[in-house]
Amino acid sequence: MNDDATVHDAKLREVARRLGARAAERLDVERTAQAVVGRLRTDPRAEVRVLGWIRPGWLRIAALLVMVVGAGVVAVNVRIPGVMPPVQSATAAGELSELSGDELREVLESVAQLGGEQQAVSAQDVGLDELSASQLRALLESLGG
Amino acid sequence: MPPAEPLAAVPTDAALIAAWHGGDEPAAAELVRRHARALARFLAGAGALEADVDDLVQETFIRAFRALGRFRGQCQFRTWLMTIGGNVLKDAHRRSRRAHVVPLGDDLRDTDGDPHEQAVADEAEQRLAVGLEGLTRLQREVFLLRAQQGLEYEEIAAALGTTSGAARVHYHHAVKRLKEHMK
Repeated sequence: MNDDATVHDAKLREVARRLGARAAERLDVERTAQAVVGRLRTDPRAEVRVLGWIRPGWLRIAALLVMVVGAGVVAVNVRIPGVMPPVQSATAAGELSELSGDELREVLESVAQLGGEQQAVSAQDVGLDELSASQLRALLESLGG
Repeated sequence: MPPAEPLAAVPTDAALIAAWHGGDEPAAAELVRRHARALARFLAGAGALEADVDDLVQETFIRAFRALGRFRGQCQFRTWLMTIGGNVLKDAHRRSRRAHVVPLGDDLRDTDGDPHEQAVADEAEQRLAVGLEGLTRLQREVFLLRAQQGLEYEEIAAALGTTSGAARVHYHHAVKRLKEHMK
């Protein structure tokens, strides 16, 4: 850098240093200090801003949790339809097989009172509450051997 | 018996910040007293109207005190304050949509000294102020932090979240454009 450029740089810096000097001189520093402290003391926006700063972070975490839980629920529902019905019917069958002969007869009689159409339905296709009376009777008879 | 070491009578900025965190209001007032004029010079240099400087200085300190929890001491408190001042000024300009620089009225001119010299100095300042307006915000802030506030590139880079090399490049681009403007 030649001397002329250096001198020019120095002049530029000198003008830059003067820039704003008048505004700084006119500033009432003590009044400004008291005003700032007064605003900090009375203005409640500080807390709001802190909360506003924190909240998005928590919201993001909550949204992520919801997505993870939702994906888990969907995954479980996709898997279970092929597995659950046999388990349920096997459980129902197990409970019924534990009944005594008299108890089974009572169930059959109460079901007979309900009446209804007889349909051939597999126990694996529906739950016990969805069976008609005749379907339930047929099922119980098959379980009774 | 060796002479006792003199006690540090002037607390550091870090000590004042810690005291403010502990609820010490006078510490906050002392930080304002310590840095308000430098901040005012920076804001005026960056294009603030003189009539607005007081409000802008206050607003900058308010924002700074509210955000002190995020100040990690990556640069000096004063430098950090000036970067916040830059944001405050940008927001003020966005709101007001008015010209950044207006010619000084006669009542605002300094009447001390040689009137001719004063007029020349005023003209140079005005030209520089207008030239600064033509820079990018980053160039303008780097130039002011370096040329007006006398900070090192490393300090400027830490405050603005850039590298010292990039700060140096911004400064030289700013100087080049300002020189062309001042010719």
